[in-house]
Formats: sequence, C-alpha cells, structure tokens
Amino acid sequence: MPEVPDTTTAVIMDSAKQKGMPALSEYDAKKVLSSYGIPVTREYLADSADAAISAARKIGYPVVLKACAPHLMHKSDNGLVALGVNTDADVQDAFAHICEKAGGTIDGVLVQEMIDGKRELVVGMTRDPQFGPCVMLGLGGVMTEIFRDTVFRMAPFDAVEAADMTAQLRSKKMLDAFRGEAPANRDMLYQTLTAVARMAMDWDGIREIDINPLIVSPDGGLKAVDALIVTGGGSDD
Amino acid sequence: MIDNIEQSRLFPITNPRSLAIFGASNNYSSMGTIILKALMAGKYEGTIFPVHPKEDKVQGLTAYRQVADLPEAPDLAVVVLPTKIVCETLAACGEKGIRHVIVISGGFKEVGGDGVARQEEMVRIADQYNMTLIGPNCLGVANTHHRLNTTPHRFYGDPGFIGLVSQSGSFVTQMFAYLHNLGAGFSTAFSIGNEANTDLVDCLEYLGACPNTKVIALYIEGIRRGRKFVETARRIVPHKPIVALYVGGSETGKKAALSHTGALSGPDELYDGIFRQCGVIRAYSIIELFDICIAFGQLPAPGGDRVFVQTHSGGPGAVAADACGRAGIRLPEPSKSTREKLADMIPATGSIKNPIDVTFTKDMPQFLSDLPRAIIQDPACDILMLYFYLPAEMVKRMLLSMGVGRDEMDQKVREIGDSVAGIVKGIIRDTGKPIVCFSYHNREEVAVRSLAASGIPFYQGPERAVRVISAMILHRSFKRKIEEQAAT
Repeated sequence: MPEVPDTTTAVIMDSAKQKGMPALSEYDAKKVLSSYGIPVTREYLADSADAAISAARKIGYPVVLKACAPHLMHKSDNGLVALGVNTDADVQDAFAHICEKAGGTIDGVLVQEMIDGKRELVVGMTRDPQFGPCVMLGLGGVMTEIFRDTVFRMAPFDAVEAADMTAQLRSKKMLDAFRGEAPANRDMLYQTLTAVARMAMDWDGIREIDINPLIVSPDGGLKAVDALIVTGGGSDD
Repeated sequence: MIDNIEQSRLFPITNPRSLAIFGASNNYSSMGTIILKALMAGKYEGTIFPVHPKEDKVQGLTAYRQVADLPEAPDLAVVVLPTKIVCETLAACGEKGIRHVIVISGGFKEVGGDGVARQEEMVRIADQYNMTLIGPNCLGVANTHHRLNTTPHRFYGDPGFIGLVSQSGSFVTQMFAYLHNLGAGFSTAFSIGNEANTDLVDCLEYLGACPNTKVIALYIEGIRRGRKFVETARRIVPHKPIVALYVGGSETGKKAALSHTGALSGPDELYDGIFRQCGVIRAYSIIELFDICIAFGQLPAPGGDRVFVQTHSGGPGAVAADACGRAGIRLPEPSKSTREKLADMIPATGSIKNPIDVTFTKDMPQFLSDLPRAIIQDPACDILMLYFYLPAEMVKRMLLSMGVGRDEMDQKVREIGDSVAGIVKGIIRDTGKPIVCFSYHNREEVAVRSLAASGIPFYQGPERAVRVISAMILHRSFKRKIEEQAAT
C-alpha cells in the first residue's frame, strides 16, 4: 500500500468529472484499483490491431480482448469481449470484430492476460443514505445475482473486520484448498476489502464500485479481472 | 458517550420527580385519562399535575387550568392533546420552564401533508426552549424502577432488566404481561414514535449507561443516523449485549444502481452485515428477541462455545443434538472423570456420551440436581442444555408413595418445583456456567412456573434454546472482535 498519496486517482477522477462520464473505463478503473494496492490483470490499451498484437506478445498467449470506454458498463452481453485469443491472426480478427460491434465510440481495445481459476468473487461498494459507503463481498461471476451470497460492511474497517466479513460468506469454504487449487491468499483478500473501503472514504465522487470477477488463481493469488467505477449520478464534491 | 446516566438529557424524562399531564380528564374513555389512570395504578411516586381548561379535579387530583398556573415547572410534560393544540401547548410549557416532554399525540409527519409542517414547527419550538422531546406519535416511556409509565397499558410487575427502544409502541405495552409471565420485565422501555427530536440512537446510548439495564432490545424499522448507531453500539456491546429485530421497510431507498453491488444491496443485507460489524445480535421474531434478552439478563456469560446436553431419553436428546448441529454448535465428549462420576448415578441403559441420556431415574429431582451438577463441572462444558422435565403428575405419584396426603399435595408439589429451581439456580451460581432449560412443557406445569419465579430462563423446544445458546456464543465472539480491534 503506498504511504504517499498516489496522484493517479486524482488525475483520473478529475478527467472523468470534466468529461461528465457516468463511469470510468475499465482501463482507468483498474489503474485506480492498482494505486490502492489491489492486484489487477496485466493489460494494455491498444488503438490498432498491430498495437494489440504487440501487447498480446508482451503478455503471452492466451489473452482477452475487450472494448474499452466509460459508457460500456456491461460488455460481455454485447459481443464486446473475446476470451482465450491464442494467435496473432486471432488478435487481428478479434480487434476488427470488437471495433465493428462497438461502432467507433471507444477509447481503444483492452488486451489483457487471461486468468484461469475456478473460483470467482465479487467485491463492490455502494452508498447508503443512512450508513454511507458500504463494501460488499460475495460469490462472483455470472451466478452472483442468482445465489445472492453477499456480505456487507460499513466503510471504513480494518483487516479484523474483513476477516469476519469473509467468515460470514456462505460459500467461504471455496477459499480453502479447492479441487487441486491452493487456498486463497486471505491477507490479499482482506487488503482488497479494506482498500475498497478506503477508496470510498477518500473519494466522494466514486458512487459505486464493482470488481466482478475477482478471480482466485490456482496458486491462491487474487486478481481483479473486470472493474466498474461509477462516478456519475450523485452529488460529488 | 455518557458514563453516568444522570448526565443524560433523557434522565429527567425517565426519572421525573414531577410531571404535568395534558389531555387527562374525568372522561374515562379519553386516551389522556387512560394514561393518567395507568400511571396512578402503577403507583408513580412523584407529583402529578393534571392540566385541564375546565375541571378543578381530574381523577381526584388537583387540576390546573393552564400550564402557567402550575406551582412549579415539573420535570416532565406528557401531552395527549388533539393535534391542532399540541404546538401551542409546547410553547406554553417552554415559557413555564419545562424542558422535557413526551408527545403522545399523532397527526404529524406520519400523516404526510400538513403534518410534516406541524412536526417542523414542533422541532422549532423544542429547539427554541432547549427541550428534549420524545415522539410525537408514540406511547412514551416506562421506567419500572421509577414506577413511571406514560403508556395506556397498566403495568403491575416487578422492575426488570431489559432495556427496550422500539419504533412500535405495541412492543412496549403488549410485552408487559408477556415478559412478566416469563419472570422478566423491562428496566426502561422507550416508544420513540416519529423521533422528531430524540431518536433511537439517543435512547440506545441512554440504556448503555443505565445501571438497571443488563441487556438492550431494539425493534427497528429503519435507522436514520446509521453511522452514529454503529459507533454507539460498538461502545456498548463489550459491556452490555444488544439484540435487535429489524423488519425492513426502512428509508434505505436507493437510486437506480448502475453496479451489481448497488442492485444487491437490499436493506436486509446491509443491516445484516452492519449489525455484525457493531456486535449487535440479530433476532428474527419478537419471541426470539425476548428469548435471547432473558438469557443474557439471567444467565452468566459462557466461557466458551462447547455445549453438553442432558436428557433422560433418546428422542429429546437426538432432537436437541440435531438443533445444535444445524447451528454449528459442538457437543464434545464427556471427560473420563465425568464418565466415572456419572456411572454411579446412571442406570446401565443410559448413555454417557453427549447428549448424555441419563434415562429415567427413580428419583426425579436427582435428575435435576446431582446429575447436572456433575456434568457441568466437566472442563469441556461451557454451557449445559438441560431437559427440564418435572411433570406434576409424576411428582404426585412419588409423593403419594412417600405417604403425603392429598390435602397437602398441591402445596408439596409446588415446594418441590421451587426447591428444584433453587437447586438449578445454585448450580449456575456455584459454577458460573449457564444452564439453558428446555422441554416441551409450558407454564401450565408448576415446575416451569417455579423456574420463571426463580429467574431461570426456560424454553419450549430445543430449537428456541439453541437459538439462545447461539446468541450467547455469538456475543462472546463479537465482544472479542471489538476488543481485538480496539487493541490494534
């Protein structure tokens, strides 16, 4: 965790405010998360197919390509994501396909490492009129809203509280050794939760946050694979 | 946070030396009269000044035509007047020097429209005269230790130990008899109504410092000062348990959320996490709320989470063990020394595992004295769940065989119930460990009434007993968590 305040978030929040966008792009959101010490996928924003190929080679195949823009809050529903892209030629095709689908109003195409891992969590933040910023931990992925296995805490809170929060999750057992995968790095999870809480305390302009999924990799590490930071729709000061 | 209750601005409301009542008359059916009669029936010891525009005497008490005529400014005014004259009366009270008021009358914010403006006017008057005001649209306060009861329901019971803050007046008044029957009662109960000037958090803070309150019950439909609530509860919980029933319908309405997190943050989920964050035990019914409060008030806190179950037959033991298992409660094996001690007292058909099935002994009272005393002393036992089965029918048969005559039978059966309850209480006192009694009996059994009279909780069915045990274990872990957080 950086002791000296990072200016990344300030710059990004400032620019979002000036543009009047409802949310940060995934690329910017990840930079904000990263500046708070939250592990995110390795990724590059590409403005051409060649740039995308060079990014993919740097990351190593397979990679994921995603349209990147502040107004794209739920990308996978609209054919704006290509998973498991394995070759230069496939990157070229996927890049063209995504640009065509997106219709030209995007910042670029995000090329990111493909994270495998059977376990998906969601971490988020919402603002309640009575309790203020509240952080959520839950079972992530596509089934989040089916199982509704979620736990909330009022921000800010410490690692002890984050541990208690995790213990309240019905599916907490999946954080132990699971189907050949190592136990999840609990300290990293607690750090992520307390960091999201701190982010909400630091930035009134951040209205809501979704990190979904936060994937537990086979070695137990965590990575924010998709992220949404909502900045519009509330009074920010 | 207050340390001494007398520092609280609510103290004169709950402990008034004198009070004025507005709206009581000689018409027996008026709400004000019903409240005055309940106050008098409860033997309130302070001075009562009825204020009435026409009467010289109200219910035998000297009445005053207007507040200005009162010989002194009383500690408290209780206002039970028609809505339209409430605010002018408050202003007159303020002029007289009255600084504490309970407004029972409704017709304010809860009705919308003009009511909202009327409530704003009320708040303005309260601010102007630096008044502490409870209500409007409430039933006020019952402080059983001060014999104060501003509600329309009479209360004849003994002073109790449960502090209540309720967003419904009914859970103050309609619980008087319910708790009395269970051998418990309120210390101070607040019906807070519209919370115009004094809210749930103010009353919670008061009860945290109230020496007569051993446990705090909350009935919540919505918390307004959420962050202050969390801070206040976290300070109280390490020295006094808080149990809350939350039933949604809160003001936690949110704008259309853009995130999944926002869509998933229903008020019920938020309250669930936040209660745990501040160490508040969540109950899911009124019955459960008071089941848990009674145990917290009457039993010592357990030193751990290991439970022993004692029964005298297989079925109740198996059902109790099943209920424990579902709640994630551990039933450890009895130690060697306990097994040896019990071997002398239990027939060969019994089982010295956990649940400990002692089978039917010839000596019924022994089942509820020597056996639990031996079992609870096991070092692995933190809590004893005791099948409290002492039917009058069987006690009578035993007494008949001992030559007790029918004329003194009922008396003797009562004495045995009282004596067994006294023994159970003695075991709890001597060991400092909680015994949670249960069976499928109820208060029709004399021995169950003896337990209540001795201040020992009794639960109908193991499921209710297990919920209480879970709450005790949870409170212990909440307390430890808050202490750990304070230390780091």
